[in-house]
Amino acid sequence: MAKTYEEINEKIRDKQAVVVTAEEMIDIVKNDGAKKAAEKVDVVTTGTFGPMCSSGAMLSVGHTTPRIKMTSATLNDVPVYCGLAAVDLYLGATELIEHGPQNKVFPGEFAYGGAQVIEELVQGKDVVLRAKAYGTDCYPRQKLETLINLSEMNNAVLLNPRNAYQNYNVAVNAGDKRPIYTYLGVLRPRLANANYCSAGQLSPLLNDPHYRTIGVGTRIFLGGGVGYVYDQGTQHDPSVPRGPGGVPLGGSGTLAVTGPLAQMRTEFLRAVSITGYGVSLSVGIGVPIPILDEEIAAFTGVSDAEITAPVVDYSHNYSNNTGEPLARVTYEALRSGRIEVQGKQIRTAGLSSYAKARAIAGELKQWIENGSFTISRPAEPLPGVDSGVKTRLLQIRPPQQNNHNRRGSARR
Amino acid sequence: MIQKSAILNFPKDLLDRPVISNVIRNFEVEVNILQASITPEEDGRMFVIFRGGKEAVEQSLAYLKNSEIRVYLPVKNLVWDENRCVHCTACVGQCPSSAFTVDAQSRQVVFDAARCIACELCIPACSYNAVESISEHLAKTGGQ
Repeated sequence: MAKTYEEINEKIRDKQAVVVTAEEMIDIVKNDGAKKAAEKVDVVTTGTFGPMCSSGAMLSVGHTTPRIKMTSATLNDVPVYCGLAAVDLYLGATELIEHGPQNKVFPGEFAYGGAQVIEELVQGKDVVLRAKAYGTDCYPRQKLETLINLSEMNNAVLLNPRNAYQNYNVAVNAGDKRPIYTYLGVLRPRLANANYCSAGQLSPLLNDPHYRTIGVGTRIFLGGGVGYVYDQGTQHDPSVPRGPGGVPLGGSGTLAVTGPLAQMRTEFLRAVSITGYGVSLSVGIGVPIPILDEEIAAFTGVSDAEITAPVVDYSHNYSNNTGEPLARVTYEALRSGRIEVQGKQIRTAGLSSYAKARAIAGELKQWIENGSFTISRPAEPLPGVDSGVKTRLLQIRPPQQNNHNRRGSARR
Repeated sequence: MIQKSAILNFPKDLLDRPVISNVIRNFEVEVNILQASITPEEDGRMFVIFRGGKEAVEQSLAYLKNSEIRVYLPVKNLVWDENRCVHCTACVGQCPSSAFTVDAQSRQVVFDAARCIACELCIPACSYNAVESISEHLAKTGGQ
């Protein structure tokens, strides 16, 4: 018995919808079977919270008097991109404060960058906007220095081209020299520890492995507020080999998401300083999955024991796009605190907070149960396994010397 | 057998006396030096863990106090800010003494200060500035 989006939304509006988290769905599918589970449950909520580098904020400040068309600008000394319109700015989460020490004293602390500015904006704090311009007849101002906060901006949205990775690598250091400092944390040599970063059985795309319900236009929980999936994420790669239940064996699908910063809370949007690597933004995302039929119910019943991740050496193999995974391990093993790789017991740690993922799935469940959040039918599905979409490495093609053609003619 | 961590503040005119060596020899107490900052002409500071019989450890501390060393017994070897922690568990994979663990039910990080040996491996591992060394904390809060 299939259900439609409209039928489920009618139930949500009547506060009659049966909503469970992806964690709660595991036992329902196991005990009642997918068919019964599909009849019983209307929506399954998912959640994930971890560092998602491809994040940023699209900001539009008011016009000044006289007007300015910014050509370079900073917010709290963090450069923002101005190549848009006069007073539109993009603040990248991983952009670093100007003249910061970076990794000059290794490993760098990376105390401040775009993510920290975003967090301060969400806290309602004033930040310093400095801008320069060359001046035009219509935009004569050449310099600007002002305090500004989120409530004074005309538009401020989180705009994240790649988030919510469907599965990910487990990182280890197979080298024998020194600890390495990666975006997956501190990895001590000789396989001393392993770091993973996925909410596993609670993760949105692992509960909808073939993107049957998550697509362009899907309404989601984003950073504590309401947001939307606006496209497939960058590096979306549905071609990655899959195991039972369509579960990809490594990083594959991704989501591009957006939503207004004004609704967000630092509980679910936090700046991170990754030692030796840089700054990033931890983003809380929750996606509702309408249980339209038995197949979708079965997918949402996936458990950590059925999801495996590749263990990858980050001392050499990852950086050089070479080698094979050292092992495959389940998220159940990863969450137990120990995995076995090449006969060695290794301690594990997460970078994605399962406790937060659970809180997000729980809050989204409440929103749907109380009728304030309805589900949306995607305007367009994400490219699937048969789409031919695949992520490629960049093949470096050195440009020819003395090639004058590419800049156009500056001469009159 | 008991274990006690202590921060020792040495007045600069005491730097030429082998007080730790005396503690080890006279009281047969095991001394694990976790941090030491000793510069000529300045007051010194040392962070140690004493391990031994209850009486021996107490005698050692009394000896140090009598030697005009300011002895501070921190309740914690590390300051964990639960409000900043997001429970990602990155610290748990680094912690050699199981001071940081994950609660199996709540999946939240739990910190047992008594097990902390102040190795500080968790500090660079934490991306949320939720852990602070005791020396940093004392410097900030103006503690002893």
